[in-house]
Formats: sequence, C-alpha cells, structure tokens
Amino acid sequence: MPKNPSPRELLPLTPPVFHILLALAEEERHGYGIMQDVARQTDGALQLGPGTLYGCLKRMLSAGLVEEAEERRDPALDDERRRYYRMTPLGKRTVRAEAQRLAGAVTVAMSRLAGEHA
Amino acid sequence: MNPSVMAGFCRLYSMMLYAYPAGFRRDYAGPMKQLFRDRCRDVARTAGAFHILRFVSLVMTDWMRSALRERAAGFWNAGREQRRHSSVTEWAGTILIYLFATTTLVQAYVIPSGSMEGSLLVGDHVLVDRTAYADPGSLGRHIMPYRDVQHGDIIIFSYPEDVRETYVKRVIGVPGDRIRMEHGQVIRNGHRLVEAYTQHIAAYPDNYRDNFPQAPNASTMPRGRDMLEHYVVNGELVVPPGMLFALGDNRENSEDSRYWGFVPRSYVIGKPLAVYWSFDAPGEDLKEWSLGHVVDVTTHFFTRTRWNRMFTVPRSQNAEERP
Repeated sequence: MPKNPSPRELLPLTPPVFHILLALAEEERHGYGIMQDVARQTDGALQLGPGTLYGCLKRMLSAGLVEEAEERRDPALDDERRRYYRMTPLGKRTVRAEAQRLAGAVTVAMSRLAGEHA
Repeated sequence: MNPSVMAGFCRLYSMMLYAYPAGFRRDYAGPMKQLFRDRCRDVARTAGAFHILRFVSLVMTDWMRSALRERAAGFWNAGREQRRHSSVTEWAGTILIYLFATTTLVQAYVIPSGSMEGSLLVGDHVLVDRTAYADPGSLGRHIMPYRDVQHGDIIIFSYPEDVRETYVKRVIGVPGDRIRMEHGQVIRNGHRLVEAYTQHIAAYPDNYRDNFPQAPNASTMPRGRDMLEHYVVNGELVVPPGMLFALGDNRENSEDSRYWGFVPRSYVIGKPLAVYWSFDAPGEDLKEWSLGHVVDVTTHFFTRTRWNRMFTVPRSQNAEERP
C-alpha cells in the first residue's frame, strides 16, 4: 500500500470492511464489540466470524484505515484485557467516500427502478 | 451450553487456529480465541439448539474461508520466486491441518445400542473428543490439556473382541482396583458404590450378570474367559496395569467388561463431547446407512429428531463410595 493513498483508490469497500469502519465511526471498540455492532447495523445479516474480522482488521491496519488503541479491560464483559481499534482520519474519509458512492448508486437504482413497481 | 462444553469448544477452536499462517496466528490468535469465547457465552445465554447449530456452522465456514484467504494473501503478496516455495509448503500445511483436525481432534459417532441408556440413547450422534485421553506419548498429549481416565468417565473405545467396532461404556475400574458385584451392586476396593447414573431394568434374573465374578458361562467371550482365569483373586477381580474395567449404565442390559474382559487403555479413543443430533431409529439402521434409512431420515427428520437432546453433554460422574 502507498503511504498516503486517496480514499478513492480503496473503493469500493467490501461489506465487512465498510461495516467495520461504521462500527468504529463513533468510538473505539474491541473485536467482539465490532462484531456485535456490525450485526446490529445489518439486522443480523452480516455475522463476522473471528477469522474474517481479524483478517479484515489486519488488511485495514496495513492500509492505514484503522489503528490499534491501547489494550484495556471492558467493564461490561470480564477482567480480561482486550485490544481496541480506532478509525484513522484516512479511514473516516474512506468510509465517507464509500457512503457517497453507495448513495449515488442508490439514487441511480431508485430512478431506474421507480417505473417498474410504481 | 454448559461450561464444560464451552471449554471443549474453545480447546478445539484454539487447535483450529493452526490452519492460519504463523504470522497471522502470532498477531491475532489471542484476540480470536477471546472473541470466540465471548461469542460462545452469548450463544450459551440463548441456549436454543438452533442458535448453537447456526453458530457452529458460522464458525466452520468462517474458519475454512478465512484460513484459506490468509494463506492465499501470503501467496500472492509474496510474489518472489523463493517465497513461492515456502508458500507451497504453507498451503500443504493448511491442508494437513484440515485433515488433522477432522481425523485427530474429533470424530462423529452414533450410539448403536441401549447399553448406556440413562446417559446415551440409541440414535444419539455424538462428537467424540479424541484429545481428552490421548494415548501417552502421542502428539495430542503434548499440546493439549490432558487428564488420565478416571472412575466414572464415559469412554469411547475400540471393542477388544473386534477392533473394527466402537463401543461406549463407563469406567468402573482402573489399574489396581479390586472389583466385584453383589446383587447388581458394584463393590470397589471394599466400598459399595452408589451409582446415580445407572438404570436398572431387570430383564430376567442372571446370577453371572449380577454376582460377579463367576465361572464363565456360555455368554462369556474369549477375552472375558481369559480375564476370569487370570485376574480373580479371592473372589474379586483385580484390574491389571494398562487396563480398564468398563460397564454400561443400563446395567442389566449391557454387554460389557463382564462378558468380554478389560478394555486396554490404548484402545480408548476419547470421550463424548456433546450430542449434536439425536434421531430415534433402530440401532441396526444407524450402523450402516441403507437406502431405507435415508428415506426414513428425510421423511421423519423433524418428528423423530429428539430436539431436547441436542447439545446435551454425557458427563463423567463419580459414584459415591459407602463402606
């Protein structure tokens, strides 16, 4: 990956990557928190397994979309330390660009399909 | 899902992680195990068989897909000739791990007889944890938590009289134990066992079965005869080193160590981890799948599946000893 890629080069994002970024949009989360939030966002349609989740995070780290925050405990779970992730500025720009791209696609879809079922 | 199944699943999962490339494992094995356990806990709270089934299938597909993907990433990103070679060996590694996982760690087994009724029913499909009592010296023993076979453990083992068959029984005697039975009650080292797990359905009086050991009769198999000939001291059976004495929980309707002798320790395959499916069908149908059985299963899958048995755990249970 180049050092300072523009978000456009990374589009389109795969659904897991897109939803992981959305999960991190508001706060830092650990792996399990991301997984739960992605399931909530998609009404349970996208269930990330451990391998898929950490595989994506690995690639997102090397692309500079996310970074590791410090390890700490999650009071809601137990006393084990968990690795937290946060979104980078590039991650934020990228997810915004992806959302715009999708919005554009939705607009096209609406206008073309509007006649069919109306 | 109870804690011991969860621990079993977590153990299997940490073995499954060996399918990922070493670098990936180094960075993420810890968090992945954590995530897996968190998910398990989640699923355990809902406790529906359907949820557990969905979870298991999600984890399996995730594992297959992502392990291959991480391997492939290593392969394509490397690009250079000399790295290519190591990637090929890494791939071979992954395939070996898949084979290893499905043959060495777990095994599916169907209960074909009612000898363990009370704990296991005919038609229970169980996953066998093959690592639990891995033979001393085998690979499994060095990398897995290990505990030797103890009183009250349910074991799955190769039938000593015909090793092609697999049996399931409960361990009553370990090496050094003195065993006899009086009126169907086991007396071990002079203590009367109170066995909560047994089921007593007296079919017909049988002196040999209920007051053991005795002189061999027509139902005693060759190895049983050998045991009675060499290991009875003062009316008690003495379990020799490297052997186990195993009985069925359905004590009056069980062909067990009383008839075919000791189970060599090395014949033990593993312990039942959980019932993953229970289908009400005659024992003979379960041993070999016939066309009739396939039709039977497809037409009666929902009605004859014993849903309440799914993901139950046949448990080790020690008998209380009374003087």
